[in-house]
Amino acid sequence: MSFSPRLQQLIDALRCLPGVGPKSAQRMSFHLLERDREGARNIVEALNVALDEIGHCRLCRMFTEEEVCSICSAGRRQAGLLCVVESPADVIAVEQSNAYDGRYFVLMGRLSPLDGIGPDELGLGLLARRLGEGDIEEIILATNPTVEGEATAHYIAELANAAGVRSSRIAHGVPVGGELEYADGGTLSHAFSGRQRYE
Amino acid sequence: MSRHKVELQPAFLLHHYPYRETSRLLELLTRDYGRVGLVARGARSPRSKLRGILRPFTPLLVSWAGRGELGTLTAAERQSQTVTVPAARLNSGWYMNELLLRLLQRHDTNEAIYENYAAALNRLEQESAEAVVLRLFEKRLLDALGYGLQLTVTEQGQPVEADRTYTYRTEVGVVLSAAATDPQQTIAGRTLLALAAERLDDADLAAARSLLRGVLDFYLGPRPLKVREVTEAMYRHGT
Repeated sequence: MSFSPRLQQLIDALRCLPGVGPKSAQRMSFHLLERDREGARNIVEALNVALDEIGHCRLCRMFTEEEVCSICSAGRRQAGLLCVVESPADVIAVEQSNAYDGRYFVLMGRLSPLDGIGPDELGLGLLARRLGEGDIEEIILATNPTVEGEATAHYIAELANAAGVRSSRIAHGVPVGGELEYADGGTLSHAFSGRQRYE
Repeated sequence: MSRHKVELQPAFLLHHYPYRETSRLLELLTRDYGRVGLVARGARSPRSKLRGILRPFTPLLVSWAGRGELGTLTAAERQSQTVTVPAARLNSGWYMNELLLRLLQRHDTNEAIYENYAAALNRLEQESAEAVVLRLFEKRLLDALGYGLQLTVTEQGQPVEADRTYTYRTEVGVVLSAAATDPQQTIAGRTLLALAAERLDDADLAAARSLLRGVLDFYLGPRPLKVREVTEAMYRHGT
């Protein structure tokens, strides 16, 4: 059996969301049409507004409808610290840890030469300009501990070095509450090479 | 179709793509089965043990099931010896991966290609000159693919002499160059012999690079190498 063309169009459109396959898309479509037309209108409205108004922060590339995002414009943050992360989700994760009160730079990806993703795609021209302005004292490289993330960190550290800015890399090691027995070899070798004096 | 199982096959991860919600598509170079495409189910889920294991440039032992274009990964572990390509040399690693992805057909078995790749990664990890590692990798890859360069004898069957000047024509071979040839197109006999003997020194590197690049570009076709473009962009930004 096949759906009417409009219904099929809706189901196909919903499938662009991550984790939504044909079955979920069908369930969502039926729910919106049958039980929650109001909710569906809200989605349409929110999507329209979001698409028209949300862009990237001029300073850090985070999603925002302002020219400068709330983190970059907050006065009480340390202006000399800049933390480089791969995605907006990473900003939220670091913010929730309460461990950091500097500012961010969001790459929206990582260096991945095999996929053709290089410095231009990650806004590194903007980052290099900001490093050259002289207000940043330390750059914290918080890209993921994957091979691509390491390559990204290394490359940004070189940009920072050229601009005379100190750079540091977040530590990798055994998770809090974890057990050595179950940590993989790569994590353990990082944990040992990055060990710190016990005080 | 019969199920087909492979256990603990030595392999390197060449590239990976996200697949469905939590899985990954892997392109692997294996020792006995050539280039293999596998689905790693659940490899992107937060608790997957595979996340720390399925890394490029790391010697792996992989097991899979299924014949045909895409098998399913059933297990993966690291080999005992570890290779850590320094971050500054990762682009060379990715360049080798892209050459393999572009020039190798799936399931085209060739152990020499695997050994050449493993040896090149080891030398990238150590202090060997990066450019020399890449040139030897390229030369041996062409040899293993059956496109080997004939460097010591000219197309007419004369031995190449160190102090004469030649040109190299892809799919033809070494030709004694006429006096009027553009110097950009020529290569010293000395360099040809050094490349044949795999003993390149600094003076030979630029000419060996352009010779190998010309031959590789011929087999790669018109589509440019992404790693090459990104590397050039990285140099532009860095300066």
